[in-house]
Amino acid sequence: MSVLVEKFKEGYSLLFDRNWPLWVGGILLALLGIICMAAGRPWGVAGGLRVWSDWLFYWIGLYPTAPGYAFFLSNTSILTWGLLFGAFGAALLSRQFAWRNAPRWELGKGLVGGVFMGVGSVMAGGCNVGGFYTALAAGSVSGFAMMAGLLVGALIGLKYLMWEIEHIDMKPPKQKASKEGGIEWPKVQPWLGALFFLFLVGWAYCLSFRAYTQEAVLMLAAVGIGIVIQRCRFCFVRSFRDPFMTGEAVATRAVALSVILSVFGFFAIKWFRTDWQMIYIYHHWIGGLVGGVIFGIGMLLAGGCGSGSVWRAGEGQFKLILAVITFSMSNSLFKNYVWTRDVASSWGKPIFLPMVTDYFWAIVITAVVMLVWWAIMAWNEETDSLTIV
Amino acid sequence: MAEWTADEILDARGLSCPMPILKTKKIMKKLSPGQILEIQGTDPGTRNDLPAFTERSGDEFLGEEQKDGYISFYVKKG
Repeated sequence: MSVLVEKFKEGYSLLFDRNWPLWVGGILLALLGIICMAAGRPWGVAGGLRVWSDWLFYWIGLYPTAPGYAFFLSNTSILTWGLLFGAFGAALLSRQFAWRNAPRWELGKGLVGGVFMGVGSVMAGGCNVGGFYTALAAGSVSGFAMMAGLLVGALIGLKYLMWEIEHIDMKPPKQKASKEGGIEWPKVQPWLGALFFLFLVGWAYCLSFRAYTQEAVLMLAAVGIGIVIQRCRFCFVRSFRDPFMTGEAVATRAVALSVILSVFGFFAIKWFRTDWQMIYIYHHWIGGLVGGVIFGIGMLLAGGCGSGSVWRAGEGQFKLILAVITFSMSNSLFKNYVWTRDVASSWGKPIFLPMVTDYFWAIVITAVVMLVWWAIMAWNEETDSLTIV
Repeated sequence: MAEWTADEILDARGLSCPMPILKTKKIMKKLSPGQILEIQGTDPGTRNDLPAFTERSGDEFLGEEQKDGYISFYVKKG
């Protein structure tokens, strides 16, 4: 028996003490993303965030009509809830959940960064998951545009951060002294986490009974994404920012690998389901580029992108909770503005890459772009030629 | 008692990714070889990011110490 307990502890420590390597995250995210696609709704984050504020603004009377999708059980919303739940549960299991306050200036950056991301993601048709990562996997040409925009935005944002270090003095927030006695949270957290996951699985099972099977599958996949992303500290921001900051390209490699893997899965599904071909294909070509720049600046200010802000919020980081809130609100307001004035039609046409080339060359083109990105950043890792800090 | 004596202290408590690393990189440039920087932080990401950073920069990651409400990381300029 004691051997079993020992082995369990070893396994637990491997999964929840140490972080998983980023490339493992890249592979798992690709798999889970393909599952979401197969369930009819590819992974995105911004769409779910928007649903929350759409309802909020309807409830307070700002929007005249109710949103056409449920607050909780619409398939965009459930993906973002799942991400938040998964990250929260994984943070508990790894004893990493804590209420983390930040200096005032940082909180302000969270608020402003969230607004930038909200606006940018409307223009690009999604955050860097929906507008770049999933869009590329789905064969939307707008994904390349957003990628270019994100690189530019990340550079601008990093320039600002360097300016800020020189010019802004920040005081650390007041820390509460740890109390003597009371509950020992580090010991309780894993149990709470395990209970929470049991509850989620049971709930998904109940949902499937009430004919919400698609939503249940999406929620579990998103919970999986949340766990993976928290345990790897997988961060799309890093893939764009780190090469310019520390020169490190670990995150870049993981994201490039993940996109290449996803393309195969997504295209296989779209090949067989021709009626699904235009899923996740945006008309935002110019929008992708401009939105990418705006979003890129925002994610540098906030220190997390769409997914990154949500999972860090699930970990208890106050700055990122604020970023998620303003992201959600500004996305809803700006989208509402864009829809009612029909501005978006000037942002480009939707192009499904395999329709222009064919499936084979679409895969080759996407993979080559990813490999070139990978190669440039690997070269920079050795030479630091692009590093500006 | 601290195992290492710091020549310089960076208070990064409350800051989240990427600020602790960015500030560390900036300060490390000013130190001379052999000097030790103590980074006080609360972001769980720093645990991975700092050793990864020193590995690339040629500095030495000495270790960490759990303090009351934060962690102190020690880095020696290489």
